[in-house]
Amino acid sequence: MAAWDLSVTVEDLGPDAPPVTISVASDLHVGGVIVKLVEKTQIKRDWSDHALWWDQKKMWLLRTAWTLEKYGIHADARLIFMPQHRPLKLDLPNGKTVRLRACFSDPVFQTVMGICRQLNIRHPEELSLLRPVEEKKKKKDKDLTEEIYDLTEVPLSSVSRPCLYNGMPAHFAESEKMEAVYKMLSITQTPPAPEVITKQYRPASVVDKAHINGRWLDSSRCLMQQNIQENDRLWLRFKYYTFYELDPKYDVVRLTQLYEQARWAILLEDIDCTEEEMMLFGALQYHISKVSQSEPQALSTNTAMDDLESALLSLEVKMEGESSSATDVLIKRSCVNVRFRPKRLTLKGYKQYWFKFQDTSIAYFKSKEESIGEPIQQINLKGCEVAPDVNVAAQKFLIRLLIPAPEGMNEVFLRCENERQYAQWMAGCRLASKGKSLADSSFQSEIQSIRSFLAMQRNNSGSSSNAASSDESINTHSLVSPRYHKKYKTKQLTPRILDAYQNVAQLSLSDALMRFLQIWQALPDFGLSYVVVRFKGSRKDEVLGIAPNRLIRIDLGVGDVVKTWRYNNMKQWNVNWDIRQVAIEFEGNVNIAFSCVTADCRIVHEFIGGYIFMSTRSREKSDVLNQELFHKLTGGHEAL
Amino acid sequence: MEDIDAMFSDLLGEMDLLTQSLGEEIPPPAPLPNTKKEVSFTMDFANFNESLHELEDTDLDALMADLVADLSATEEKLTAEIQGLKAPSPPLPNLPPPPRDLSFPPAPYDSSSSSSSSSCRDSSSSLVSTSATSPLPPPQAGKPSKEDIEAQMKADKIKLALEKLKEAKVKKLVVKVLMNDGSSKTLMVDERQTVREVLDNLFEKTHCDANVDWSLCETNYELQLERTFEDHENMVEPLLAWTRDSENKVLFQERRDKFEVFKNPQNFYLWKKDKKTLKDMKDKDKELLIKENFCGPSIIVPDLEGVLYLKEDGKKSWKQRLFQLRASGIYYVPKGKTKSSRDLVCFVQFDNVNVYFGKDVKNRYKAPTDFCFVLKHPQIQKESQYIKYLCCDDDWTMRLWMTGIRIAKYGALLHGNYKAAEKKSVVSSAWTNRSTPSSSNQSTPSPTIRAKASSQSNGHASKPQPGSDHQDFGNLPPPPPPLNEILPPPSPDPVLPPPPPSLASKPSGPHRKQPSGFPPPPLGIDNNLPPPPLPPPIDEAPPDFLPPPPPNTGIGSFPPPPPNTGFGSLPPPPPPPPPPVSSLPPPPASFGGIKKSLHPPPQDPQFLPPPPPDPVFTSAGAPPPPPPPPPAFAATPRANARPAGSVKKMPPAPPKRTTPVAGGGGGGGDLMSELMLAMKKRSDH
Repeated sequence: MAAWDLSVTVEDLGPDAPPVTISVASDLHVGGVIVKLVEKTQIKRDWSDHALWWDQKKMWLLRTAWTLEKYGIHADARLIFMPQHRPLKLDLPNGKTVRLRACFSDPVFQTVMGICRQLNIRHPEELSLLRPVEEKKKKKDKDLTEEIYDLTEVPLSSVSRPCLYNGMPAHFAESEKMEAVYKMLSITQTPPAPEVITKQYRPASVVDKAHINGRWLDSSRCLMQQNIQENDRLWLRFKYYTFYELDPKYDVVRLTQLYEQARWAILLEDIDCTEEEMMLFGALQYHISKVSQSEPQALSTNTAMDDLESALLSLEVKMEGESSSATDVLIKRSCVNVRFRPKRLTLKGYKQYWFKFQDTSIAYFKSKEESIGEPIQQINLKGCEVAPDVNVAAQKFLIRLLIPAPEGMNEVFLRCENERQYAQWMAGCRLASKGKSLADSSFQSEIQSIRSFLAMQRNNSGSSSNAASSDESINTHSLVSPRYHKKYKTKQLTPRILDAYQNVAQLSLSDALMRFLQIWQALPDFGLSYVVVRFKGSRKDEVLGIAPNRLIRIDLGVGDVVKTWRYNNMKQWNVNWDIRQVAIEFEGNVNIAFSCVTADCRIVHEFIGGYIFMSTRSREKSDVLNQELFHKLTGGHEAL
Repeated sequence: MEDIDAMFSDLLGEMDLLTQSLGEEIPPPAPLPNTKKEVSFTMDFANFNESLHELEDTDLDALMADLVADLSATEEKLTAEIQGLKAPSPPLPNLPPPPRDLSFPPAPYDSSSSSSSSSCRDSSSSLVSTSATSPLPPPQAGKPSKEDIEAQMKADKIKLALEKLKEAKVKKLVVKVLMNDGSSKTLMVDERQTVREVLDNLFEKTHCDANVDWSLCETNYELQLERTFEDHENMVEPLLAWTRDSENKVLFQERRDKFEVFKNPQNFYLWKKDKKTLKDMKDKDKELLIKENFCGPSIIVPDLEGVLYLKEDGKKSWKQRLFQLRASGIYYVPKGKTKSSRDLVCFVQFDNVNVYFGKDVKNRYKAPTDFCFVLKHPQIQKESQYIKYLCCDDDWTMRLWMTGIRIAKYGALLHGNYKAAEKKSVVSSAWTNRSTPSSSNQSTPSPTIRAKASSQSNGHASKPQPGSDHQDFGNLPPPPPPLNEILPPPSPDPVLPPPPPSLASKPSGPHRKQPSGFPPPPLGIDNNLPPPPLPPPIDEAPPDFLPPPPPNTGIGSFPPPPPNTGFGSLPPPPPPPPPPVSSLPPPPASFGGIKKSLHPPPQDPQFLPPPPPDPVFTSAGAPPPPPPPPPAFAATPRANARPAGSVKKMPPAPPKRTTPVAGGGGGGGDLMSELMLAMKKRSDH
């Protein structure tokens, strides 16, 4: 067979080097071409990751046994010989950027698997890559160059078997720099400054929210084919909102990143919630950031011993309390006068009484001297509502108690003299309302958290603040969406968040993360990805919401869900690639068809197929992903 | 009846003495388990006698049976625990102790309080489970170093002590439950019991089909409200909120609504779909719905939104609002605002309210419809501005909302309840069939009770409550541990146990006997000794459910097995371990030192007397009125004769009793026998 010249650009020779020309015959297979090329370059190195990219046809020549003829390559082909794994800048859900080597030749689905393996995220099928929203250049330039966490040095082979070392995958344990990367991945970020939130783009309508979904990459094609270049920036995000078996033990990074994605979705009002929910989210963020800063990563504290210790502690207290009948714990720790005002009796002014805390009750006396005798009244706080009414600047420390009684709720205010007293009594009241006595091990930590919250208020409100311990002074505006920045001043916001905080203050870090995710997942709009579509026969744009278990149709005029279809009633769905239309048939002869406006119909197709794929996951086969099935369900049948 | 009065005042006197003595000695840490309990006696004799008056004979009988069962269960438990406590012989835990006349397999020294107590706690519903778990060999046997073991032991002991502390404070209520047919059953409910446990108890008593719909409901007479208790709820807590003179009731009924959402989830989650689709829903799709909404990482509440009529803040008018149910509460759309989440106003969150069905609201409050649900704090019992009334257009909408609110409030617990109820209903038929006959041939400790408590399924015990009636035994060599499930069987014991001293008039079976090998309540001093624990009544679980007696037990020589299975294999307590561990019971001889702990706690302190005015239910929280003046009563010399100080030094010798309770001041023995006596007398009138 006749030999002809094939010129190949070898990337490793440098951008300006001329193409290497080798003499080939049409029956030479691709492997042979590569061997010849390597010989000609005379560079000794590991070429195993290199492959040939056919530029005109936008394809990799990965089948080394195929001949040039079979590929249809002639002398005019522009071939580039280059590594398949190339650096990529990835924007993570937590807003940080990592640079790592991703595979540019595999379908994106597999590329994401590789990325997740490096980052130690389980269940990569739930994530995917999307093109970033273009940022306005001028602003960007002003900002300091952001920190980029570099993972490109990680040898690709070492990642394949994740083994833990010091609680993290071995490849993160190699150097301090790598450890820092792992920390970034696995520890939640501190709440962003309020300005940062305000500056970010926030979707204002459901149509706005739809636009982001036009950016997802095609899972069945490789990065090169989708015009992604080396060192380009992409976003890595959770795409399918069905999180399989989240386990704080194995999913440190996954959980953290998921939390970050959820947090931003809430802060930027990507998902709507009520004010009460926002306050709870805020409280959880505050708690999570506090705990993750203080909690050492070592999870290995002996819980059994802790139990015992706290049990012992409470035993001591109990013994004290019970053997000497009249005294109680708090009195011992702090002799206090609390002023007291039953609301309905007097409108103004507080009367001073001697108060005593016992178990879950408070009792009050005329004076300390009389506290041995019968109290004027004893109030059991179990099941009552406790709310703060505090203004640090005005030195107002009120505890509002709403105490249930057969006749209704009695409102009672306790006025404390100072912050310290307030923190103790507030903590006591809170525990008592949950049926716990002061002997409970959480008493001290409750006091601590109340005080740190007060400190927050002081810093926010005060010009006098000398910036006490900086980690406690979180601006509460960092915890809620900008809407509430306008609605409330920080000193109004703080007590509201504090209010919600009392229900979560005792959670461990992973419990708090899980709780955050649970509340997020319980929001009515959770898991909806929107696409603007035009239904067949309709003249106006509508929005299709794609959820893990159903499709919804939203009328833009009404702004309301007009129809719901569940996947389990779906008989089949088809895409007509020529007219770019998705057609779905449901049981009971329900047929719908629509064309997509803000995203390619491929994306809708992939979402639906993807969710169906997610629902096929089961415990038995969870360690091996059925990639074939995924591609079958999501892959386009576009003519190549 | 005077007898009873006298008896109680007597008991009360004793209690006073007891409490007085408490201040004087603060127990050293080691013997804590026992002494602490005394400290925490929380007896409330208030109105006990009065309420006994109120009870009808049958109720009283049933109660007695419960009590007896209770007491002995407690005893079983206590002894078991004591065994567990002293079992680990430090040097070589996995070696059998030095052989004596009986060889004793290493006691389960892993019997940490948690395991044993929990097992006891459940034991009435299924003794099987307790027996299955508890005798497991200590997992850590042999491995840990000596120090570890000691540390572990110490930890266990402390845990045990804490456990007991808790138990000592357990309150009990006498609850009268109204049946569908208008009759009623009275049972004792321990404050730790869940509704599920009470239901199980009622299943046994009533022999009903135990299907999942059976529920306990509370009605509030004054407010005309009704609510089905959730199975996981604590039974006693809501009852304690009732006012003393309330006419509230507890009903035992089948309620379809309780678990309807799990039977037909589509009606709640897809309620917008047309009726026909919902009706034709395939089981597979129903399962999927349940899985999606209840088995995921977070519970999804049904998507509910609609216009309801609202009456709140004590106002008389009803106004319409567009309400929305969310996991975080009920919200409404304020006037002139959109339905968007951020504009919603929170109407109520569920932490502190329960949802009730409101009856007769049209008449009472001029409500637009009679389909009304009510949200209020469980403590509120009377008209109040804090009660919120919501009216729906139709019955179904009301059910939808009420169920939705329950899902939002309880979440996965509801699903757990359903699964548990389902399981129960499946086994139940077999269960009842088997248990009925067997329970009848079980011996009850007292012939008196036996005779009287015939009508109901015979003293079916409420859960045997690991109780505190035995606090005073703590320092003694353990009484025979009747809890053979927990203990390893004794090796063949040639000596037949002596006949049970207590209630000796009618030993109902060899199983009552104390195994001889146990550090004996020595003969010489038995007057001062607590009586051996009451023979455990076996009736709470039929013997068939007990594990077969382990081989090797002494039963071979015993008379017939049936009642025996439960107790024939009584293991003797472990022989005194060689090196005394701090809390080991002192040898019997040294009784002098521990006598103080011998005074008889007159009765099960947990047993709370029902307050008089309300026969249906009695609350424990009431402050005790002064003890009734002790009428002259032959059997009460103890209290009178004893000066306060002497209590702990000198346990009272048992006064002459008609029902012999050997050894005098045993935990529940006195009370029981005296009660019986009283009842007998009464019936003689």
